[in-house]
Amino acid sequence: MNSHLRVRTAVRVVAGASALALMLAGCGGNSGNGGRSGDAAKGAPSPGITDTTLTLGITTPLSGATAGPGTCTVAGVKAYFGAKNAAGGVKFGDGKTRTVEIKALDDTYDPQKAKANYDQLKGDVFAMTAGLGTPTNRAWRQAAIADKVPQVLIMTGDPIFSDPKQSPWQLGFVPKYQNEGEAMGKLLATATGSHKVAILSQNDDYGKGYVEGFKSGIKGKDNISVVKELTYEATDTSVDAQITELASSGADVFFNAMSVTPLMISSLQKAQQLNWKPSWFLPSNTSSPGAILTPGGAAAYPGIYSVAFSKAPQSPAFAADPDVVEYLAALKQYGDYQDPPAFPHCQWSWMVGATLEQAFKKMTDPTRDSFMKALRSIKDYQAPLMLPDTSVNTSKDGQPAVSTVVVQKFNGKGYETVTEFK
Amino acid sequence: MARGTAPASSSTASSWMQRPSVRWTALLLLLVVLVLAPLQLSEFTNQTLARIGVFAVAVLGLNVVMGYTGQVSLGQIFFLGLGAYVTAYGVTNGWNVVLTFALACLIPAVAGLLVALAAARLGGLAIAMVTVALPIVGVPLAKRLSDFTGGSEGMSTSFATSPPGSGLFDDQFQLYVVLVIGGIVFLLTRSLVRGKYGRAFAIVKGNEAVASSMGISPYRYKVLAFTIASLIGGVSGFLYMLVIQYTSPETMSFGHSINLVAAMVIGGSASIVGSILGGLYYVLVPQLTNAVDPSLTALLQGAILLVVLFLLPGGLVSLPRALTRGRRRSSAARGPAAPPTIPSSTTGSGTATEEKETERQGHA
Repeated sequence: MNSHLRVRTAVRVVAGASALALMLAGCGGNSGNGGRSGDAAKGAPSPGITDTTLTLGITTPLSGATAGPGTCTVAGVKAYFGAKNAAGGVKFGDGKTRTVEIKALDDTYDPQKAKANYDQLKGDVFAMTAGLGTPTNRAWRQAAIADKVPQVLIMTGDPIFSDPKQSPWQLGFVPKYQNEGEAMGKLLATATGSHKVAILSQNDDYGKGYVEGFKSGIKGKDNISVVKELTYEATDTSVDAQITELASSGADVFFNAMSVTPLMISSLQKAQQLNWKPSWFLPSNTSSPGAILTPGGAAAYPGIYSVAFSKAPQSPAFAADPDVVEYLAALKQYGDYQDPPAFPHCQWSWMVGATLEQAFKKMTDPTRDSFMKALRSIKDYQAPLMLPDTSVNTSKDGQPAVSTVVVQKFNGKGYETVTEFK
Repeated sequence: MARGTAPASSSTASSWMQRPSVRWTALLLLLVVLVLAPLQLSEFTNQTLARIGVFAVAVLGLNVVMGYTGQVSLGQIFFLGLGAYVTAYGVTNGWNVVLTFALACLIPAVAGLLVALAAARLGGLAIAMVTVALPIVGVPLAKRLSDFTGGSEGMSTSFATSPPGSGLFDDQFQLYVVLVIGGIVFLLTRSLVRGKYGRAFAIVKGNEAVASSMGISPYRYKVLAFTIASLIGGVSGFLYMLVIQYTSPETMSFGHSINLVAAMVIGGSASIVGSILGGLYYVLVPQLTNAVDPSLTALLQGAILLVVLFLLPGGLVSLPRALTRGRRRSSAARGPAAPPTIPSSTTGSGTATEEKETERQGHA
């Protein structure tokens, strides 16, 4: 092959192609710049809503390590609106009655896939909701702002989603890590005797948020002192070394801001082996009686405290509660969730459904704008399954929809609300 | 020489395909389609194509070290993540985009070089063990160095907005950038693996003792392949940031690295087209399984992986060959499992024998 000829042909091809490209780019150019959304006339219906239906989108982990809670985030809201649809639909603020459909996609806790799912859904859904995970929600936060797509009542304690200045189209649902930590700190502050506290926390925003909240809760209390503070990495497979070191501090209260289920179980076991028996404070997502406390042998400790804002359906105290009965039936029938819910996310997701309905009732136009205004104006709404003294408040600046939690103590089977540390 | 290996019975049809004018026309058509398509397609299609481009580049990098040189690397995602972080940091601090791009290539390449200098001294699967460490170290490192990486909250940047006056939507502009950068990387890599370096890689892959006896230092070529793979990984990281606009420690998680290896094997090891198919697999299969049943994605993906490996051990790229196998008697040299170490279909490969001669002298 003559290389001269090849070069000449190549030049010709490139020249021809570029000329064509330029020509066509000129013709096919679009008037708009930037994103493709947001050009609809004012008051025109947003995507994903008709006179009879509204579609919600969810991207959440449905496979992989976080699939358990992830599946729950879909099941609860699906069950809630499944039951509503079967009863005729939801009455909206503009006078129309619509059924609410859910489109859920699996992101396997991969931010890249979450963004892809968002890109896929945003044209067809009215709002995105209920998805679990901090990185997976952060991955498309800016895109949602640019496209003016609501990303609301999502399951992450990351404060950025509850700051309306940074996140005008977002609202978190579950309490921030700080809210939970502070509630536990305040409970401890009711103690009269002197207590020594050991702290172990995950070395990231999760652990730091909890510790920050906890310390602000016990601030100014001279009878409570933090004697030792250690961290671990979320990727660690063992925290035995940290537990041993903390045990030697002689603390009688242990605040363990840990998000990894197996590590939590092994720390409960390790401390017993060392004959260190403090009172424990645990985050809400790693304090499940069935999945963590029983295998960890928690009965050996004088007290296990955690926080909650939802009724625990497994607890005998709520077995006959009408909210719980209705919820469990709907979860089976409409939520494709056959077993008793193993994660609180199922209950939270059900509350997300109820909170969304409140916003739907208030929105006067079938637009995302009107929806966001309605959503941000909910005050002291006692959603179904909520514990007394907790409520949905969407108008508090810098706070997620639920920012109040109550502290509960493990009683061997389930949790009971307590008001002071003994 | 290479032509001689083409089946004698490959009659009019394939020789028609080999004709330069036809090939150039096909290439021209492809170019025109690539230029025009983004203007016509929907936003989501463009974004999906851009994502495929990102991961095709990442798989291509993996192919250089694993497919062509035969060194198992399970750490490719680390270099993608590093490139993404460098890009995010540069953009956040207002660096020039070209400089940022250069650093996003250079820093992963240097990191890759340092790792390879140590790892390539080990033989065989020991390299794989060293590369396993990269994503495992990378994730906590990205969390720890929160001043640079934003910690576990990650970094968001959207720097690829379409230039004012171009009349393009952002998604169209991003796809064009991916096509141009990705296209250049693919062309350069194609030249690399088809030239003397490619042949050296193939010999190192085939038999290191033979390579040494021919004056080709396996160590040096392994380091070279690994460094190039890291550099290409860095490029894909830049594109990742351009398209996905967010990176967090989760980006580098080990599972994604394994997925990249799976994508490479499924697309076709030691194949340029196979890398594109690998990118297609990486991006489209999760979307496909999501469409079937979002709660069964992992299971379905596993099933697809097994089906492809059973039916097409050479990857998707061997599909046309597998289809025509019944009709054509392929010669032993071009069996489906044999990696196309010396590409036989290029127009310029008639000189392969002479080039090999000079290369041998060059390394003597």
